[in-house]
Amino acid sequence: MIKNYFKTAWRNLVRNKVYSLINILGLSIGMAACILILLWVQNQLSHDRFHKNLDRIYIVNNRDIGDGGKFAWSWTPNIMGPTLKKDYPEVADAVRYVEGNNFLFTVGEKKMVPSGAFADPGFLSVFSFPLISGDAKNALAEVSNIVLTEKLARSLFGADDPLGKIVKIDSNAHFKVTGVLKNLPDNTAFDFAYLLPWSYKDKLGWTDSAWGNNGLNTYVMLKPGTSQATFDQKINKITTNHLPGDPLYKNREVFTQPFKDQWLYSKQENGRYIGGRIDMVRMFTAIATLILIIACINFMNLSTARSEKRAKEVGIRKVVGAQKKGLIFQFIGESVLLSGIAFLFALAIVIIFLPGFSTLVDQQLHLPFTDPLFWMSAVTFILVSGLLAGSYPAFYLSAFNPVKVLKGFFKSSTAAVNPRKVLVVIQFTFAVLLIISTFIVMQQIKHAQARDNGYNAQHLVFVKMNGAIENNYSLIRNELINRGAVVSVTKSMSPITERYSDSWNFSWTGSTEEDKKTDFVRMASDADFVKTLGTKLVMGRDIDIFKYPSDSNAILLNETAAKMMHLKDPLNAILKADDIEWRVVGVVKDFIYQSPYEKVQQLIVFGPKSWFNTMHFKLNPANTTRQNLDIVAAIFKQFNPEYPFDYKFVDAEYARKFKEEQKTGTMAALFAGLTIFISCLGLFALSTYMAETRIKEIGVRKVLGASIFNITSLLSGSFLKLVIISCVVASPIAWFVMHNWLKNYQYRISIGWPVFAGTALLVMVIALVTISFQSVKAALSNPVKALRSE
Amino acid sequence: MIKITNLEKIYRTEEVETVALNDLSFEVRDGEFVAVMGPSGCGKSTLLNILGLLDDPDAGSFLFNGVEVAKFNERKRADMRKKNIGFVFQSFNLIDELTVFENVELPLMYAGVKKSERKARVDEVLEKVQIMHRRNHFPQQLSGGQQQRVAVARAVVNKPKLILADEPTGNLDSSNGNEVMQMLTDLNEAGTTIVMVTHSEHDARYSHRIIRMLDGHTVTENILV
Repeated sequence: MIKNYFKTAWRNLVRNKVYSLINILGLSIGMAACILILLWVQNQLSHDRFHKNLDRIYIVNNRDIGDGGKFAWSWTPNIMGPTLKKDYPEVADAVRYVEGNNFLFTVGEKKMVPSGAFADPGFLSVFSFPLISGDAKNALAEVSNIVLTEKLARSLFGADDPLGKIVKIDSNAHFKVTGVLKNLPDNTAFDFAYLLPWSYKDKLGWTDSAWGNNGLNTYVMLKPGTSQATFDQKINKITTNHLPGDPLYKNREVFTQPFKDQWLYSKQENGRYIGGRIDMVRMFTAIATLILIIACINFMNLSTARSEKRAKEVGIRKVVGAQKKGLIFQFIGESVLLSGIAFLFALAIVIIFLPGFSTLVDQQLHLPFTDPLFWMSAVTFILVSGLLAGSYPAFYLSAFNPVKVLKGFFKSSTAAVNPRKVLVVIQFTFAVLLIISTFIVMQQIKHAQARDNGYNAQHLVFVKMNGAIENNYSLIRNELINRGAVVSVTKSMSPITERYSDSWNFSWTGSTEEDKKTDFVRMASDADFVKTLGTKLVMGRDIDIFKYPSDSNAILLNETAAKMMHLKDPLNAILKADDIEWRVVGVVKDFIYQSPYEKVQQLIVFGPKSWFNTMHFKLNPANTTRQNLDIVAAIFKQFNPEYPFDYKFVDAEYARKFKEEQKTGTMAALFAGLTIFISCLGLFALSTYMAETRIKEIGVRKVLGASIFNITSLLSGSFLKLVIISCVVASPIAWFVMHNWLKNYQYRISIGWPVFAGTALLVMVIALVTISFQSVKAALSNPVKALRSE
Repeated sequence: MIKITNLEKIYRTEEVETVALNDLSFEVRDGEFVAVMGPSGCGKSTLLNILGLLDDPDAGSFLFNGVEVAKFNERKRADMRKKNIGFVFQSFNLIDELTVFENVELPLMYAGVKKSERKARVDEVLEKVQIMHRRNHFPQQLSGGQQQRVAVARAVVNKPKLILADEPTGNLDSSNGNEVMQMLTDLNEAGTTIVMVTHSEHDARYSHRIIRMLDGHTVTENILV
C-alpha cells in the first residue's frame, strides 16, 4: 500500500510541475534558512561545552554598588586565585588567566608578534584543550616553559617537532616549548596562540597582591559534590574581609558564575547576569521556526487550495474501502516525502551559502556529515516539517464526503474567514514583522553612525608601543614630524576607540566620601592630545609636557566629568588620584571612546606621570596615505627594528563598533527578504490557482461588461485585503518587540509611524506585483473559451 | 440480500428542506438485477448512496444480508463496503495518477489481499473485460468505453456480492454502452446482485425488475423476467 501511496504522490508531483516546484522551492529555501540559523544556534550553544570538568568550573566575579545600582564584573585581583585555593577546601583548583600579550617571538630568522595569554599551571588540567604533545600537568610548571598551539608551532618551526625547542621572547628571555595544543576550536571564548606561565608574569613584576586591583580572570574548579550556592555564600565577603575597615570595599561581594553560562549570559542587570548572547540565540531560533512555519504554510495552502484536484481520488479511495485514518496516513506521508525532497535541495543550498553565512556571523560553521546525531536530527527535521506542513491538509482532504466529491458537488471554501486566508495572514504578519524590525535595526545603526563622535578620525593612526618605542619615543616623534609624514603625535594609555582602564577613589576640592565611589575612565597623554585626535577644547588648554614641564601631573577632564564633579571653575582644580595631586588644565567636549550606543561616562586624561602603551599620530593630509605610511614604516623600522610595524586606522577601528549590530541587521534583512520571498511564492501559486478556478466567473463578468481593470482589482483585492490585515496585526507586535530591543541602547531612535507605513506600502506593492501577473492574465483571457468549457 | 423499510433521507440547508427519500421500502433478493428509474431529483442516487453505505438514512431500517447497517459508523461501513459492494459510476471515477492495473488493484489492497494473489486476480478480471493490453496505461490515455470497462473491472475484482451502478452508460456512445450492459448482465448471470440507477429504458430492459421512483418513494414496480 505504501508503494501505491508513493506512486500516487510521485505522479502528482510530476504532473503538477509548477505547483510542485513552488512547494519544494519554498520549503527548501525555508528549510535552508532554518538549517543555517540552527547551525549558528548550535555553534553558540556549544561554546566551551567540550571541557570535561564543565559542570565544576566557575568564573569568579565581583559585585558592588555604584552609579545608582549594583553592577558585576569578572575581572579579579591577582591574589584571588591563590587565596581561594589555599583557604577553601572545596576548591579543587583555581587558575588565573589573562590575554593580551604582544611579545616579539624570535626563532632563528623568524620574527612575529602572536597574541597569547598568561595562565596558571593548572589551566590545562582544569580546561580540556587537547595536547598533541607534552603533559598537561607540567607544561606550564616552570617559569621558562611555553605552550604553543599547533598553528603557531608550525609557523615557528615548520614541520620539525617543536617539543623542547627554544623560543626567544622579546630581546632576552628564552622559553622551552613544553606542550603543543591542537588549534583552539571555533566555539571557545578563549583566544590565544600560546600560553606563558603565570610565574613569568610574576618575574616581570606585572603582578601584585592588592585586593583592589582587578585585571585578570580567575576560574575555580570545585570538588565534586560542592554546591555553588554554598561556596558563593562562603566567598561572598572575601575581599571585604581582606580589606577590613576600608569604606570603599564595604559593599564588595564576590560570587561565581558557572563557566558554561559565561558565553551566553554576559549582560547584567543590577549585578546579576540575566542575558546576552542567549537573547540573540532565542531571537534567531524564533526566526528559524517562523521561517519554517511560513514555508510549511505554503504547503498547507497549496494542498488545500488544490483540494478539488485530489477530491476525486479521496472519494474513490473511500468508495473502494479506504478509511479516514488510512487517507490521513497517505497525505501526511506525501508531505513527508515532499519534505524529504525539499531537505535534499535545502542541504545543497546550505552547502553553497555556508561559507558566506559563516563570514557573516563570524563563526566557522560546518555541516557535520559524519556525525550520526546530524542525520538523526535531519530525519527528525524532515518528519517535523512534513507533519507540520501535512497534518492540516491531511485532515482536511481525508474528511471529504465521497458522495459529494464524486458527484462533483465539491467546492472549496469561499467563506469570508477560512483557514487558508488565516494562514496567509499569519505568513504575511511574520514577514511584515521581520521587515519592520529590519528597518528599525538599520535606522538604529544609522542613528549611531551619524552621532558626532567628538574627534576627527580622518588620517588618524595608532600603534602599540612595543619593543624600543618607549625608549626612542622622542626620536621617533621628532623624526615623524620633521620628515613631514605626520602633523602631530600623542602617546596615550589606550587607542581612542577603546577603554583600557577605569578606577575610583578620587577626591577633589569639594568632593564627598560618596564621590570616591564614582568610576572614572582613564586615558593619558604627553602632549597634543586635542590637536592630534581632533577633540574640541571647551576651556583651558591641551596638556603639553614639551612646552610646560610642570604638565607631568596635568589632567584634562571631559565635559561629563567636569559637570559630575560640580566644579565651579574646573581650570586649576586639584584632583587627588593614586596619591598624586593632578591639576586640571583643560576641559574637552565629550567624545566616544567606547560604544556609540551608550552615553559618555566621566573621563580623565592624565598627564605624563601616568603610563602609556599607545601612540597616535595624524598623517600629513598634504601627502598620500601611502607616501606617509612608507615614511612612518621606515622610521619605526629604524628605531624599533626588532618588531614588525603594525598600525591601525582609527576610522576603521571605530567602524568595527557597529559590527555586531550590522551583523544583526544583515541577518534580519536576509531572513526578512527570504520570508517575504517564500510568502510571495505561496501567494503567486494561490493567485494562479484562484485565477484557474474563477475562470468561469471571470468569463461571465466580462460578457456582462467588466473591464480588465475591474477584473484585476476583483482578483487582486481579495489578497490585498489579507496583506493589509497582516500589516495591521504585525505593526503593534513589531513596535513592542523593537521597543524592548532598543532599550538595550542608551543612545537610540524613537520608533515613528513612517516605518510602519513604509513597510505596509512596500509589502503591498510586492504582493500586488506578485498577484497582478495572474490577475491580469486572467482578465485578458477570452471569455468565450471559459464559458464554452462549461 | 437487501431489505429497506420506511427509509427516509432529508437534506437541509439554511432555508430549504428537501425530502430525498420518503418512507421508501423494498427488497432485493440474492442474484437479482434491479433497475431504478425516475426523473431527476426523485431520490435515485440518494438511494444508491445509502445502499452503497456511502451515506446514512435519517430514519428507517436497512438490512444487508440480514444485518442492520443503517447506523453503522464510518469504520464498519468502510469494512462492509470493501468486502461486499462494488461501484460503477457514470463518470468512471478512475484515479488519474494510477495506471489501469493499479486502479483495479486498489480495492484488493484495501482488503489486504497479498501481492501475488492481487496480480493474478487483476489480470484475470482485466482479461475478462478485454482491457489487458492497456493495463499499464493511465486513464486519460483511454477512451470512455475503455475507462468504464476498467471501472467495471475495479468494481468486480474483489468479487462483491452486490454491484451498484449509477448510470453506467451515461457518458458512453450506444455501442460502448451496450458492451458495458452486456458485461453487467454476464456478472449477474454469474451470481452477482446488481442494482442500477438509469434514465435509459434501453438499459433498464437488461434488468429483471424496474423500480420507478417519484419524490422519494416507489410508484411502480415492473417485473421483466
